[in-house]
Amino acid sequence: MRKFLPADQLARDERFNTITMQDRFNDPRSALGTGDAATTTAGARQKFRLTPERRDASDGARGLMHGIMVGEIQALEGAGRTCWDFDTAGVAKTSSTGAHSAGAAQNPSGDMDVPFALKLDMARQCWDEARHVEISIKLSDWMGTEIGQFAENTVLFAAACSSDPVLRLAGVNCALEGLAIDVFTTMKEFGDLAGDPFLEFCEDWMLADEVTHVKMGSDWLRKVTENDPERRKKALDFQAVVDKLFSYGGTRSDSDESPIGLARRFRALAGFTDDEVEAINDVSVQALEERRARGAAARASADPASATST
Amino acid sequence: MADPYRARAPFAPWDRRTLPGLFDVEDTARRVGNYKWAEMKLFEALGGWVATVPELDVKMRLGTHCYKHAWHAELWHKRLPELREMNPDRLAVPANDAMVRFVEALTEPEAPDQTIEKLTGVYRVFIPRFIAAYTYHLNGTSEITDAPTIRSLKLILPDEFDDWRDGEMMLQSLIETPEEAARASAHQLRLESIMIEAGGIAGPGTLGSQ
Ligand SMILES: [Fe+2]
Ligand SMILES: [Fe+2]
Repeated sequence: MRKFLPADQLARDERFNTITMQDRFNDPRSALGTGDAATTTAGARQKFRLTPERRDASDGARGLMHGIMVGEIQALEGAGRTCWDFDTAGVAKTSSTGAHSAGAAQNPSGDMDVPFALKLDMARQCWDEARHVEISIKLSDWMGTEIGQFAENTVLFAAACSSDPVLRLAGVNCALEGLAIDVFTTMKEFGDLAGDPFLEFCEDWMLADEVTHVKMGSDWLRKVTENDPERRKKALDFQAVVDKLFSYGGTRSDSDESPIGLARRFRALAGFTDDEVEAINDVSVQALEERRARGAAARASADPASATST
Repeated sequence: MADPYRARAPFAPWDRRTLPGLFDVEDTARRVGNYKWAEMKLFEALGGWVATVPELDVKMRLGTHCYKHAWHAELWHKRLPELREMNPDRLAVPANDAMVRFVEALTEPEAPDQTIEKLTGVYRVFIPRFIAAYTYHLNGTSEITDAPTIRSLKLILPDEFDDWRDGEMMLQSLIETPEEAARASAHQLRLESIMIEAGGIAGPGTLGSQ
């Protein structure tokens, strides 16, 4: 088995279809979609928060749950690959022929070796994510969704493909699992409002695990880059890029215009500082402004008179 | 109540543990180091394979099993300093060259249509070897001086049995034709042959000398 598996090689059964992230956002059934922005009254701020009152709440929640399920599969795969792709610091690397193993050949200096304890954490994450897949399959079934009813985009796994394990931790554990905290909190509240204790119960359990994963990621990021400020900066920059990517269209923020809220309390538990949470909110609010501008431009081109009437 | 100051036998009549054991401290540390290396190789392979198997149930099982073997590796890692090996990495080595070749052959299958080979290697060859090595160790070590190793073995062995059963059931449900059964057998034979050369997870003497 090779080291470093590209995202397009992820093994899936016949039910799964892969699409781009842009296509996923543009799926009219998606709760994260921004298509409605163009149809709002010009200038009016429309509520997009995923709550049972939304007209498209049923499809939206089911699509989001399916998205969670495929995200959990990729999180499981990503954590598993980190166990495999890197050598363990301190452990002998020679193969039976006396040559360096495939991974060692790519990393002869050993500077990308990972501590044994980090691998143990990744293995633990494998188990947690495997449970999350189990939970989200059962919840999807409960919500009346079949596996493959919504498409999958593999951008989460792509963030887990970096050749630097620290970048993987920044992109996956800190940025994407941070997003998972926001998504699960919104779904937990959705379950509460919809009177679905089953949904609320499961999301609460998954939330506990994700808080642990984020903390695991940020602790390792700090520890591994303790004496390497340049590598740390690269990792934090990558985290910011991933955060921005997933803030496309203002997906999550404190504003009701975002489908997903920012789970400040749980993010604090996971070790995010107030400034870090504020930075994510700023990026998302900026993306929201861009969405409004796109909506206004679309309205202007469809009906030039309305553009000037506001 | 009986007189609390009356002399009692330090070992209760039902406590039949004895002092002698097959392994001294050094032997035990060597074996434990080999166990740690083998458990590491196993959890790394299981983690790597998750992304390569299309069968969803197998994907989730591999992820779950990955953690269990990582935890076993951790238990052995923590036992080494208690066996006078202050640098646990020094003894976390393969028993011999054949063990290295075994792991290379075990981890060779990658393609999505090779789930049968992946599972056969782990559940029909590697894990039965863990069960054998650990059972021999459990039955042979000093019940008094080596109680911490016994405790770890007793925590680990049920996991190995559970995972072996999971793996065997997945294989039985995946193998639907004589050709697929032949594929499993051929791969098992290939890996078993290397394992025979290795002598087991802890090398020759893994199960004592006959
Ligand atoms: Fe998860
Ligand atoms: Fe997670």
